[in-house]
Amino acid sequence: MTESRSALEPREDAGRATAEDGVVILDGPDGVAVTMTADAAEKTAASLHEAAKKAREHLARG
Amino acid sequence: MLTQNVLRNRTSELSAEERSLLEGAISRTQFFPAGAVVVRQGVPVNVSVLLVAGLMTRHVDARDGKRHLVAVHVPGDFVDLHAYALKKLDHDVAALTDVTVAILPHESLERIQQIDPDLTRRLWFLTLLDAATHRQWIYRLASLSAMQRVAHFLCETNARLLAIGASDGSSFALPMTQADIGEVCSLTNVHVSRVLRELRELGLCQFRSSHVVITDLRGLAAAALFEPGYLFLNPQTAARAAAQNGEANDRES
Repeated sequence: MTESRSALEPREDAGRATAEDGVVILDGPDGVAVTMTADAAEKTAASLHEAAKKAREHLARG
Repeated sequence: MLTQNVLRNRTSELSAEERSLLEGAISRTQFFPAGAVVVRQGVPVNVSVLLVAGLMTRHVDARDGKRHLVAVHVPGDFVDLHAYALKKLDHDVAALTDVTVAILPHESLERIQQIDPDLTRRLWFLTLLDAATHRQWIYRLASLSAMQRVAHFLCETNARLLAIGASDGSSFALPMTQADIGEVCSLTNVHVSRVLRELRELGLCQFRSSHVVITDLRGLAAAALFEPGYLFLNPQTAARAAAQNGEANDRES
């Protein structure tokens, strides 16, 4: 019997953002399914970018 | 017969005697128009409601005013049998379409419990079916993508309606709006709209004018990661629900 993947592991695959009828839809990774306004999407993108930068710094510090 | 769809084509079906006893426990039938709240959260109840015709929902109203559908019921479902033990519900039960329900006083259910342990066990089975379905809905929302969620809901609804003769295995009336499906799948209307378009473009199913046509049941079930085991259908119905019997609408057959 193979061990199931833990749902709590960080995902290595990216979500997919697309525009639809004037809003932004974010699909994935995993069960993520969110619709945002363009403004909210841009703020989320900036927040993600900043968080990713800090996460890399954590890794660099070891 | 008002109870004809209760446990129909499930792994635990009612005997003729049990069905007769359950039928005799019904005190009356009642009509509710679409949108009516049939059982309200927190209100003490001394009857339980069996859905005879139409579709009903259970929904939770959050404090921020958002409504969330947590169950969709089809004819034959005992929508609040759990109220027999709980005596009040932690959610509303409402009519999604015009519905006819059969009312069973709790004192009649008490009598069944006293005189017929086998029927009592089957009624328990009904509430366990509800629990199994809820577990699957949690899984669906927690782990599936938007497309998988919608596909899974459509496969599940097809299977449940197939069991009561309201789907031919690939085509059924679904008097729900895209917003309703969105509430079931925790998706916005625009997201549901896109997913339905993608399912159509993939040749899996079409949803138009409150009617679903599944053009590739095996493909839709695969896309949804749908396995009907949790619905406890009899083997023939389960095989048809999962397109494991060479259904004519399979593109591969």
